[in-house]
Amino acid sequence: MRPVAVTGLGVVSPFGTGVKAYWNGLSAGVCAIRPATLVDTEGFRCRIAAEVPDGIGGSPRRSRADRLALAAAREALEDAGLSRDERVEAALVVGAVGGGMLEAEAWYWERFRGRRPASRLAPGATLPFAHVEALGNALGLEGPRETLVTACSSGAASLALAADLIADGVVSAALAGGVDALTRVCFMGFNALKLLSAEPCRPFDRDRRGMSIGEGAAFVVLEDLERARARDVRIYAALAGHGMTTDAYHVTSPHPEGEGMVRAMKAALARGRIAPAAVGYANAHGTATPQNDRIEARAIREVFGAERLLISSTKSMIGHTMAAAGALEAVATVLTLVHEVVPPTAGLDTPDPDVAFDCVPRVAREAAVEYAISNSFGFGGQNVTLLFGRA
Amino acid sequence: MDPKEILDELKAILVARLKFDPCRAGDMALETPLPKGIEGSIGLDSLDFIELSIAIEERFGIVMDESQDLTAHFRSFETLCRFIARKAEAA
Repeated sequence: MRPVAVTGLGVVSPFGTGVKAYWNGLSAGVCAIRPATLVDTEGFRCRIAAEVPDGIGGSPRRSRADRLALAAAREALEDAGLSRDERVEAALVVGAVGGGMLEAEAWYWERFRGRRPASRLAPGATLPFAHVEALGNALGLEGPRETLVTACSSGAASLALAADLIADGVVSAALAGGVDALTRVCFMGFNALKLLSAEPCRPFDRDRRGMSIGEGAAFVVLEDLERARARDVRIYAALAGHGMTTDAYHVTSPHPEGEGMVRAMKAALARGRIAPAAVGYANAHGTATPQNDRIEARAIREVFGAERLLISSTKSMIGHTMAAAGALEAVATVLTLVHEVVPPTAGLDTPDPDVAFDCVPRVAREAAVEYAISNSFGFGGQNVTLLFGRA
Repeated sequence: MDPKEILDELKAILVARLKFDPCRAGDMALETPLPKGIEGSIGLDSLDFIELSIAIEERFGIVMDESQDLTAHFRSFETLCRFIARKAEAA
């Protein structure tokens, strides 16, 4: 299998457009979860979300999600400096769930009220697989295209699949990432499941009350390591391994012993031939639901044993960005290796006694980490672990 | 922007986004009609017009109001260039 390098990063987050704004926010421990404006939260217990601020650009004929994806993807491609010909050959793998649902909902909302709404949206733009069409056409990516829909691990799964395409020699470069805009169905669905916190989420806190929803997009350029070296381009990190497993247990709850999570983390280590002791940081799935955090901490402990591993949940700052989460957190993990700074878990006051780890409360920590993992676990027990190593 | 400059941009969009042959794009003139079914036109269909509209909005930083009938503006390069120039000036 051919080793895979990360050579380009692009982000649109609740901190704004660009990788720089993202890292500045994360490393300063800023919480971007605020009163929601994109969806009407009247009457809900939870009325907050982490929304991307104005200024993403793009034609209003595109869905908000397409515009988020385009801005992030463009930054990643420019960062990697892929030539026109290299773009033509590159694979495009996108993790997505909501598609243009935000605009579709608005249309049905109007219709339900007996009005005849005009839709500015291009046909098909409401579906999750619309993103590859929009990105591929606008950015000149003409290799294999894949859309992955594995709920909240979609963004991470897209990096894993893209790494496979490179490792197997199918392509030598890929643009991979995830995107989701805030939607009513997501907000109302999680509200109905009683999983949303009225206050900004507090992962790994004893008094956590559930999650916060966010939105955004993140893309990375993955590339055959040898070719990246030959191009003399900046290599941020190696994508040293990944593991994908399924609980096959319950529609929303993770397996109570975290059995599938354990297998995902072990598979990532095995694939990278990395000993657990070499890993210094885990960017946790860390949703701040009572179930996830306890079970995830237990699973991490089973794989990595000792308490020396630093863990944090960047969802404490940007909320749970759904299909974008795995990709945004992969970028956070890569930047942790690059800057030798572990982003904190904001809002963590009273550590949960069931979580036997240092969860880096409130303030970022300087730490030169050799290897780091990023966990993403989707509904239905769809588990993905990505393992990154210093370049 | 004068119509000639806008025409060159539109040709670049047709090549990059709608996969027109660059040689064929070179032959297009201001009076060339756009919609398919008209003699001498470049044969754009309704989906092509949507793709073209997105590209125009992003390239020229304008927004086209869909509540108005835009058919006349998309008749030929000439009408489209004039429409874009007016919109871009107002933007």
